[in-house]
Amino acid sequence: MRWGFVFEVCGVLIVFAGLAQIFPLLWSLYYNDGIAVSILYSMLFSVTMGAVLRFGLRRKTKRPVSAREGMAMVTLGWAAVSFFSALPFWFSSSIPSFSSAFFESVSGLTTTGSTILTDIEAMPKSLLFWRSFLQWVGGMGIVLFSIAILPFIGIGGMALFKAEVPTPLPDKLKPRLQETAKLLWWVYALISLLGVIALKLGGMTFFDSLCHALTTLPSGGFSTKNASIAHYDSAYIDFVLIFFMILAGLNFTLHFQFLRGRKITAFNDPEAKVFLITILILSLIVTFNLFGSVYDNVFDAFRYGSFQIVSIITTTGYATADYELWPGMSQVIIFFCFFVGSSAGSTAGGMKFIRIMICAKYCYKEIFKLIHPRAVSQIKIGGQSLDDGVVHSILGFMVLYIGIFVIAAILLASMGVDLLTTISASASAIGNIGPGFGYVGPTESYASIPDAGKWLLGICMLIGRLEIYTVIILFVPAFWRD
Amino acid sequence: MKIIIVGAGQVGFHIASRLANEHKDVVVIDKNPQAINKLSDKIDVQGIIGDGNSPLVLEEAGIKGAESLLAVTDSDDVNLVACLTANMISPNTRKFARLRNPDFDNYHKALKESPPFIEAIINPEMEAVKSIVRLMNVPGAVESGEFVGGRVKFVGFRLDEDSVMDGVKLFDLKNILGNTRALVAAIVRDEELIIPQGKTPLQKGDLIYLITDKENLRPALTAFGKEHKPVKKAMIVGGGELGRRLAIELEEKNINTKIIEIDKQRCLYLADILNKAIVLNGDGSDQSLLLEENIGSMDMVISLTGDEETNILSSLLAKKMGAGSTITKILKFSYFGLMPAIGLEKVVNPRLSAIDSFLQHIRRGKVLSAISINGEQAEVMEAIALETSGIVDKPIHEIDFPKGALIIGIIHGDKIEIPTGSSIIYPNDRVIIFAERKAVSKIEKILSVKLEFF
Repeated sequence: MRWGFVFEVCGVLIVFAGLAQIFPLLWSLYYNDGIAVSILYSMLFSVTMGAVLRFGLRRKTKRPVSAREGMAMVTLGWAAVSFFSALPFWFSSSIPSFSSAFFESVSGLTTTGSTILTDIEAMPKSLLFWRSFLQWVGGMGIVLFSIAILPFIGIGGMALFKAEVPTPLPDKLKPRLQETAKLLWWVYALISLLGVIALKLGGMTFFDSLCHALTTLPSGGFSTKNASIAHYDSAYIDFVLIFFMILAGLNFTLHFQFLRGRKITAFNDPEAKVFLITILILSLIVTFNLFGSVYDNVFDAFRYGSFQIVSIITTTGYATADYELWPGMSQVIIFFCFFVGSSAGSTAGGMKFIRIMICAKYCYKEIFKLIHPRAVSQIKIGGQSLDDGVVHSILGFMVLYIGIFVIAAILLASMGVDLLTTISASASAIGNIGPGFGYVGPTESYASIPDAGKWLLGICMLIGRLEIYTVIILFVPAFWRD
Repeated sequence: MKIIIVGAGQVGFHIASRLANEHKDVVVIDKNPQAINKLSDKIDVQGIIGDGNSPLVLEEAGIKGAESLLAVTDSDDVNLVACLTANMISPNTRKFARLRNPDFDNYHKALKESPPFIEAIINPEMEAVKSIVRLMNVPGAVESGEFVGGRVKFVGFRLDEDSVMDGVKLFDLKNILGNTRALVAAIVRDEELIIPQGKTPLQKGDLIYLITDKENLRPALTAFGKEHKPVKKAMIVGGGELGRRLAIELEEKNINTKIIEIDKQRCLYLADILNKAIVLNGDGSDQSLLLEENIGSMDMVISLTGDEETNILSSLLAKKMGAGSTITKILKFSYFGLMPAIGLEKVVNPRLSAIDSFLQHIRRGKVLSAISINGEQAEVMEAIALETSGIVDKPIHEIDFPKGALIIGIIHGDKIEIPTGSSIIYPNDRVIIFAERKAVSKIEKILSVKLEFF
């Protein structure tokens, strides 16, 4: 374990986090909202600290990164960037408490979308942009992390993608990591641009359409409006966002292949197929449940029902309706969507469909074994047999996921938070969703959570975002022994 | 006509002996002196000891003047190289190869159209799967073959004890069958092949060979008391190459399939490539496993392990436990005669399937396909009646047909006719001929040119 090396990389990331603050600085100067100086201080501070880490601890070793160092880099890097990205909020006193500023920043970079802001519209526009921008960067970070890095560390069954997922390039992904990264950036940026245009056509201002496109693609969910998407009350915008949220929930390699001219790849991919069908079925159930009880016409029931379902299942977290006022059936479905997540290799959080599919198949295999004790069977996804190691890694992931959810909920409850809020807030944080139930429902914010709870949820977001193993491993004693 | 056969194994031996019986000039090459000695002791062929893929050996065997080369050793590599070498020395020789490697499945056409220009590639397992599937499709059939692309069916079945047909004379059969057109081509009674006359009565226990067209097959079999029960559940014992191919085929036909294989590693492989079939790890002759997997409810149990004793045992167990029907893979030709005695009549032999396939390809004249029946006692072949042959444009009873041979079907355009004495064959009609072993070569001559040319 070369700590110097790890910190050096973190230093570079912090320098970039500082340099990126040029964007809110420019917006600030453009809107003249009076916090340009604070942002400049924050920027200079971040760049300086980063540079110190980068050069102060410089080592000459240029050996390739080991898996262990990689995990430390990703976790510490993500945490460090969150820390320094919180500074503009704090320095400008727009968010006076550092705990809250850090929560907002982590929630952004992990593409969660939980906010502690009670009056979003009162924030300086430069900082609203900064929130959205953080999510956009976080989303891209996670696509790279899950498609380009995770498979080679091989955790949480992500090793699957080495063989499973058609790689964007005909040859293997690894030797051309940089090339892949560049291509994925282009795909991501292109879809974001389309999002901006589509939203602009729906009557949003340029600033709003930009901010919303930047938070839709990473399945983030920060809005520039207090009422979130409900503010616009436009069916067009709702359906445009549903479309883009679903895009964000699909594996980005599929988009890449689509752009390369392979038609309807999403329907050939086993995970994407289940993902899309699940969305359709759940939307229809909720529509059926809402029609008559909440909405008088089917169109409204479908519009609001499907929007909330897609928003939660893709772990975005936009709201066009307060699902806490819905019938129990719909609420329960929404709550379970907190855990599901979308496709692996997308920007969404949660458990991911592929893992749930494999778990289901594993359970079936166990039952099948009772009926045919001597049967030999293989767990298959899309006709390909899975290695036992992958399956076990995924089962471990699921157990850890639930375990961490339980521990987080208990800790949060010990801080005096009520049951519904506790459970939904922890699930929402680990799944990188955004809103929860109770005091953190879609119409409320996380402002009421105690400071310690904000840190706890912030850590949960990181754990969930980095596919659990990456973060948890740092807490295992064996990791520290060489 | 000279035919060179590379490989004096079982396939090579049987092809050689059949061709020799038909008075063809056969040269067999094998590097094993014992195999060659055994061969030349028993049949009238020339044996050469040496590598079949060596150009020198092939030259010595007279490849330059040879009409055909059959590479039928156990080794794909030797067979391919032999064809390649032959193509080099004597491009005009027709080349046939036995090729077992499934990786080549999709390249048969390429090997045919580019060097070494192998005219036909025979994969024994592929041929065996075809015959198993044919047996499964025909209720009660012990043997089953097809002609004219499946439009004409030729089936052999055993007449049951309680069949209404017991004692019926052949000329009464027409009345019983009514509109159903079918012809009894041959009967095997007490292991003896009989070409039946009108007054011949059918007896229970007879092995009856019936020819009919596709539409009339079911009704005809029903009339003989063979009810059609489609196979819905099947169990394959033995997951070797043949078992693997069959399991894939059955999966495609949506038949619930269980496959038992003794080797754990092979089981994992099978579970990997099969999607619906249940792969079981165990011994096919293990009674408790068979009970556990409810063998009695199977419509068909197919025993295909590499060991004949295990196959016989598994099939017998399956029968005893109430399975609908069994097919047993038997490699030793000498066992064939014994199988009816122990009640296992449906037998598959990849080598025999391959031999049939080879023979139909190298037949002179315009023979399109041929199957051997009842072991190798007789052959049924489909041929085109050439204008120059002696069989066209006159009533059948005027044709000077060799003894032990019978025209059992005439296909004129779309029309399939079960012939009577006054039927006439027109040029380019397809005819289906049943012939006892000794008549085969004469039939071939008749099919080629008019007899008076000789």
